[in-house]
This record gives sequence, structure tokens and C-alpha cells, in this order.
Amino acid sequence: MTFTKEKTLADQVRADFPILHQEVNGKPLVYLDNAATSQKPLLVLNTLRDYYEQYNSNVHRGVHTLSAKATDAYEGSRDKVAAFVNAASRQEIVFTRNATEAINLVAYSWGTSNLQQGDEIILSVMEHHSNLIPWQLLAQKTGAVLKFVELTDTEEFDLEQFKSLISDKTKLVSTVHVSNTLGCINPVQEIIAIAHKYGAKVLIDACQSVPHMPINVQLMDCDWLVASGHKMCAPTGIGFLYGKLDLLRSMPPFLGGGEMIADVFLDHATYADLPHKFEAGTPAIAEAIALGAAVDYLSNIGMDKIYTYEAQLTGYLFEQLAQIPEIRTYGPLPKVAGLGRAALASFTAGDVHPHDLSTILDQAGVAIRAGHHCTQPLHRYLVAQSTARASLSFYNTRQEIDVFITTLKEAVEFFGSIFG
Amino acid sequence: MTLSNVRDLYQQVILEHYKKPRHKGKTDPVHRHQRGHNPSCGDTIELTVQLNDAGDRIEDVKFEGEGCAIAMASADLMAGALRGKEVGEALLMVQRFQSMMKGQDEFPKELRKLNVMAGVAQFPVRIKCANLTWHTLKAALESPNSSNATGFISNEKEA
Ligand SMILES: Cc1ncc(COP(=O)(O)O)c(C=O)c1O
Repeated sequence: MTFTKEKTLADQVRADFPILHQEVNGKPLVYLDNAATSQKPLLVLNTLRDYYEQYNSNVHRGVHTLSAKATDAYEGSRDKVAAFVNAASRQEIVFTRNATEAINLVAYSWGTSNLQQGDEIILSVMEHHSNLIPWQLLAQKTGAVLKFVELTDTEEFDLEQFKSLISDKTKLVSTVHVSNTLGCINPVQEIIAIAHKYGAKVLIDACQSVPHMPINVQLMDCDWLVASGHKMCAPTGIGFLYGKLDLLRSMPPFLGGGEMIADVFLDHATYADLPHKFEAGTPAIAEAIALGAAVDYLSNIGMDKIYTYEAQLTGYLFEQLAQIPEIRTYGPLPKVAGLGRAALASFTAGDVHPHDLSTILDQAGVAIRAGHHCTQPLHRYLVAQSTARASLSFYNTRQEIDVFITTLKEAVEFFGSIFG
Repeated sequence: MTLSNVRDLYQQVILEHYKKPRHKGKTDPVHRHQRGHNPSCGDTIELTVQLNDAGDRIEDVKFEGEGCAIAMASADLMAGALRGKEVGEALLMVQRFQSMMKGQDEFPKELRKLNVMAGVAQFPVRIKCANLTWHTLKAALESPNSSNATGFISNEKEA
């Protein structure tokens, strides 16, 4: 009998990622650390190279041809990002170094000029340090108070508790869309609607959602949304802040310098219009242009398709993990067809420390993360000193999950036989 | 398991010290007390040291902590090897251990138990796990009034 096996999404795209085709410690690389950073397709690599080989030039600063070309590509990239998250205007997209810088921008610019003693900021216990420390600093500076949403029994955002925390004192809610550790998808639309009833602003940390599912900031109605390019097939050094136009207009500059000005006198200056008001100094031009290429690449595949395919892998991953009795996973279990949670699994394996697991997996070519994944307070809350995490992308395959599971079983058995 | 070099790293002795440590707890009395950690991975260790009356010889070392097999086994092996050693000798052992992690040295016969850690040198990212306890010991011995530990010393600045 002959039949043609349907090609999976991974089968179709793997050739686009040169880095995946190598051996690590003598074994084919199985890269399962995508939540830390994604790999880059040729389109992105070539875009970087073309820029430096063909039109490297500063932006907004010259009338010569190369500068115009670089400026067009840089601003064109902004259009692509705006369309990708469905922003109402290209002026609502500010390029930053990464999500962390974007959050700091909001904390300093909006936070220091809008918050006072006794005002409240609501975060959740699952926040990445990047969405915690900037608010701690702001609270220290302004006297604002931090409140934390905890987890439900299924280790998800406790919406009911959130409702009991929020009040007229709440000025800001800042939370992660998809947790990089629990993998839960937070009900951001509901959170935002509730917050707005109390007049609070909402920032969404979309680092782990933008690369994996369609995002629509207008539908979500968030006030700000941040993401990092390097987790979505773009280079490091580039990320973005989305902010509602009126809100960004009302915010004072964050960093001062070139690019962000209109008229400069010795004792004062007027500032450039949005979004350049927030882009002081020569930006990461090549990286920003390459982010545009990454967005093209992802859009070309289609975010719906990526989400569905990754969900299938997620379902399979959790099924397989469930076969190993020593494994305890964190966050909600996937629902039908693997849907309802992100394509990552944080776990512990009985007595075996995550670092030891990671070393053994590494010897089999499998790259996972071990540690606290920049969510120390969450780990404390879960009473787990550290966890191991396998995080998937659309270029991962079931076969790779099999290699991961087989080695994981071996590692657990190896340690188990000693511990008896 | 097919992964033979993993067996070199996780030798039976190391796993036994991890699973059944002999020197866990706190010395009584405590003459030196120091906490150390590897901030990027979360491993922590808390050493207590009991000295002789003259304060120049180690009577006992105990540890508490949380971390991987390498870090915990290293602490247990170290504690066992330090009993009866002069403070100066112990500091030389710190140096020797750190050289061993670079693949450059080994311990002589009477301390050869410590050489089971030598395989860690082949796993560069795990060296700091093995070094943590030694680094912390050094800090404990070098600060004469450390019987009340405050804060942690980091093992990651040197690397
Ligand atoms: C949920 C979440 N927020 C924020 C960040 C910070 O991203 P970056 O370090 O690129 O600013 C990360 C990535 O580590 C993340 O997973």
C-alpha cells in the first residue's frame, strides 16, 4: 500500500532554520528552549546581512539614498509590527531593546508622573522578574503599593481574587498574557475590562503569546503591550511597546537625546511626534528591519496555523509526560486537541534535580531550561526550588518530543536505580 | 543508559553522597557560618564550621542547602575531607579543588576521595555547581567573625 504522508508544519519549515541541522554532543540537536529565545529563519538572517551589505546607513538623518532606504525599511518594519498586533496606528508602536526596556519605559514615563503615595498596582505572582522589578522600583519611588493576584487550584490566574483586589485605588494592572513557567493563558480581555471599570490602566506582557498565537490589541483593549523580538524569530536587541495613541501622547519622554527631538535650544527642547519621542539615539536598525522580516515570516505561515500545530504538539507532550509517574508538571493541563495552554511544560522529576536532568538531556542533544526561569517568586509560591522546562515552537516535531521523553525516562530511571 | 559520559559525571559515589549525605546539619558550637549561592540557578549552601580552641584547626564542618546532585555531593565530600585539617591546609584544598575543576590538578592519596569530582571538569556549565561549597568555605574561613552569617556570597562573580 502506498500513501503520501501529510507534511506537518515543522516538516515544511525546518529547512528554513539552519541552526536546527547540527549535532550537539554527537546527537541531533533537539531545541526545546524556545521560551528563552527562538531560532531564526534564513529570511531573518538574510535580511540582517542584506542591510549591512547593501544599505547600512543611519535612519532619519540624511537625504542620501542609502539613508532613505534604511529609513524606509526601518519604518516599514514598524508598519508590519503594527499590522501584526492590529494596532490602530503605526504611531502606537515604539521600538525598544526588548520587553524589559518597554516595561521600564512605561514605569518611568507614565508611572513616575501618574502615581502617588497609596495608589495601588496589581500584578500576579507568576510575573517574570521583568514585569516585577520595574514596579518595585516605581513603588519605592512613589509610595505606590503592589498587590498580587495568586493562583487557582489548577495553577492559573485567579480571576475571582483579582476582582476582590481591584478598587478605585488601583491605578495599574500589569500582567503576563502567557506565563513563561506555568504556560497558562490568562483571561486578559476580562482582566482589562474589569480594570477599565475602575479607571485603571493595563499593561500586558505578551512575550510568550505574540510568537505563538494571533494578537489583536484593539480587541484586547490593553493600554500597553510589550514583546521581545528574539522570542519571535527576530534577532536580540529589538522589541516593542504598543501603547494607545492618546496615552503615549500624554507620557513624557523616557530617554533624551537625538532622534527624539523636534527643536533643540540650549535650555530646552520640543520633542518629536510619536513614536520617535520614545526612540532616543540611533536605534537597532538592522534588528528592527529583521523584526519586520520575522513578522513577515510568521504571518506568511499564519499565526492560527502556528497555534493549532503547537497545540497538537502540546497535547502530545503532556500525554507523554503523564506516562512517567515521577513527573509533576506545573500549570493547567491542556484541553481537547492540546488547546488552552501554551506549548511548554515546566516540571520536576521526584528527587532528580532539574540541573542534573538538563545535563543528561544535553548529552542526548536535547536543550531544555533548568532553574527558576526568572520567576523566583512564583517558584517560592509553588514551593519548588527550581523546575525544568521544555518549551516548543512550530518547528519542533513529535519525533523530537519522543527523543526528549525517552531520555527523560532514562534519566529518571538512572537516578531512581541509585535511590531505590 | 546509552549515555556513558553521563555515568562518568554521576559516579556512584557522587550519587550516594547526594542521596545519603553524612554531614548535613549545623555544627555545635558554630565558629564560622557562611551562606553561598549561585544566583542564576538558585543553588544555595549554608556552611557551619567548628574550630579547635586555638582557632587554627577544623574540628567539624556541616552544610545545609538546596541544589543539584553535583553541588550537594561536593559539599558532603568536602565536609568529610576537612575534619582535622588546619585552616591554612583547608585554604590550599580550596585552591586545589578549583584547579581540579580546570582539569589541572588532583588531590594526593590521602584525599583521593575528592577526586571523584574531577569528571565535572568535562562539563563546563556544571563546574560552578561543584565549586559553590568550596567558594563558600573560603569566605567562611577568611572572615574571622562570621559566626553569624548575614546575606549570601555569590559564587558566580569569579567565573
Ligand atoms: C513572560 C516574559 N516576560 C518578560 C521577559 C523578558 O524578556 P526580555 O529579557 O527579552 O526583555 C520574558 C523572557 O524571558 C518572558 O518570558
